[in-house]
Amino acid sequence: MLIEGFGLKRYYQRGSETVKALDGVDIAIDAGEIVAILGPSGSGKTTLINLLSCLDAPTEGTLTVAGKSVAGLSEDELVEVRRGVLGFVFQDFSLLPTLTVTENVELPLLFLGLKAEASRTAAILEAVGLTDRAGHLPRELSGGQMQRVAIARALISGPKILVADEPTGNLDKKTGEAIIALFKKLAREEGLAILLTTHNTVFGEQADRTIVLEDGRVVWES
Amino acid sequence: MTTDPFVLPRYFALAVKNLRRRMVRTVLTVAGVALAVTVAVSLGGFMLGYRGAIDKSIDMLGFQIMIMAKGCPYEAATMMLKGGTGLLYLPADIYDKVRNDTDIESITPIFVGVAAKQGSGIRDDAGEKNFLIISGIEVPSYKVMKPWMQFKKGAGYDGGRWFGDSSRGEVVLGFEAAEYEQRKVGDTFYASITPAGKTEAVMHTFKVVGVLDRTGTQDDGTVFLPIDEARGYFGRMGELTILGIKLKEFNAFKMGAFESRWLKLPEVQVVGLQQVKSTLVGLVATAQTMIAAVAVIAIIVAFIGVINTILMSVYERTSEIGIMKALGARRDSIFQLIWLETVMICLAGAVVGSALAVVGSAVVERAIKSVVNMGVSGSIVLITPAVVGWAVLGAVVLGFFAGLYPAWRAAGMRPVEAIHKGN
Repeated sequence: MLIEGFGLKRYYQRGSETVKALDGVDIAIDAGEIVAILGPSGSGKTTLINLLSCLDAPTEGTLTVAGKSVAGLSEDELVEVRRGVLGFVFQDFSLLPTLTVTENVELPLLFLGLKAEASRTAAILEAVGLTDRAGHLPRELSGGQMQRVAIARALISGPKILVADEPTGNLDKKTGEAIIALFKKLAREEGLAILLTTHNTVFGEQADRTIVLEDGRVVWES
Repeated sequence: MTTDPFVLPRYFALAVKNLRRRMVRTVLTVAGVALAVTVAVSLGGFMLGYRGAIDKSIDMLGFQIMIMAKGCPYEAATMMLKGGTGLLYLPADIYDKVRNDTDIESITPIFVGVAAKQGSGIRDDAGEKNFLIISGIEVPSYKVMKPWMQFKKGAGYDGGRWFGDSSRGEVVLGFEAAEYEQRKVGDTFYASITPAGKTEAVMHTFKVVGVLDRTGTQDDGTVFLPIDEARGYFGRMGELTILGIKLKEFNAFKMGAFESRWLKLPEVQVVGLQQVKSTLVGLVATAQTMIAAVAVIAIIVAFIGVINTILMSVYERTSEIGIMKALGARRDSIFQLIWLETVMICLAGAVVGSALAVVGSAVVERAIKSVVNMGVSGSIVLITPAVVGWAVLGAVVLGFFAGLYPAWRAAGMRPVEAIHKGN
């Protein structure tokens, strides 16, 4: 298993009140698997995905990512787990506006201290259908194209797990379907584990597994 | 994938792109740093240049010691350097008493008088444009003191020579005096001189027998006459203004001994030119301190401005910094990026500021000279590569410290909170 979590809890303190954003979730994700997390706003989707992608640490529970136990790790230790293992796709694309498509895609390599290879970048851009947009700035792209750039950026370092928080949230239906199709292709061909959150039950049904959260608990799992 | 050994240029490129995002803000911050650097470089250049100009002007007097009439020694020394009126005179027999001192290597008597330039009246309070300095000299001993003096060559100047001690009606003009009066060798030269005790000026006509090459000293603006002839025109026969003296061995002990020997004469004072140098430097020390205070304030303002700009930039990019951390950026990567942006702003400011100071140094010099007569000839602002180098280094150090806090703040952001806050 690439990700295994048991009894995951994430509590926040808001004044005197303890907010139970996640309240005892068990989860396991294997390579080549697409898992969709569904649920209404405030159900704990983003909290769960933050824990599973090592952006945050659980208050309680055990969590293993790519064979490393991450419970209780500091931020500096979590970043070491993330590096080269996890790729991220965000709802608002989160591209750097001053960088071209190629530069955005190659950005993670800078932080990993790796050399950018033009052939690899070109291959990834081709895989996401953006070869002709390599020199463009984000403002010159459509929403769907920007999300494809974000996916290419997530893939450039060869991660084992792709984490996508509402990847189709800002896209129209047709473009959203194309992105989901791309995810399926990546899982099938690259053996990537893909973990995504969505409000869209149609997209959720296309995943290998679906987990529905409510009030920080799993209420349904396919 | 292989490790990239040249990762710094990529951080550099990213930092440049980040700075270009808010071009107006970046330019204004660079301008703030540039202003501080301009002031600092100009001040450094002024301190260096002024000391150099004083050293040169005094060294080019040719002598180490002056014997002159009692009065303010520095006023007298300054007068020797920049010219002026209100001169005091010594009895000429002092020369005969002092000249045989065994410690003296060479000695020259100089008589200085002030004449009106052609067509203008003599005024004691006149500006420098209205009068010219007449130096009565004894050519052989004067030449020993100033062996670098050469006659100007070229059309209209060839054949320049010194006048003989007994010649009359012949003058040698300093470089600037000849240029100002538009005179060449063989031309006629006029000067109005009011003899001592008289009220009416007498017009004298001279033949220019030589024009000197530029020396960069007050000699350039001087009209030279045989000492006795000059004394005669000014009605001061048997008087002189200073005795210029070079000792065989010049050190504090010899200088002290020489001074104590000749201070016994009631009407004279002995002034060492090292002393004059330090006094003249001290005269502008107050002004330099004030400029330095302005420079310090400018540097502090620039420092705060840089911190503010980078903090704003970090705040605006909170989400981006969170994203970068999610993409694998370590704490030190973010620190390096933000710190690099800060140093680049300061470096750009240093380069622009230094260039402005170099280009504007002539303007600064004119401004300083228009406010105060510095008492020296030649350039008083000297911006050397070392001055620029120190300024650039200072700006980089400024950037180093200014970037620490914003970079530390950015590096310490937790990605989840940063992404959430940014959104």
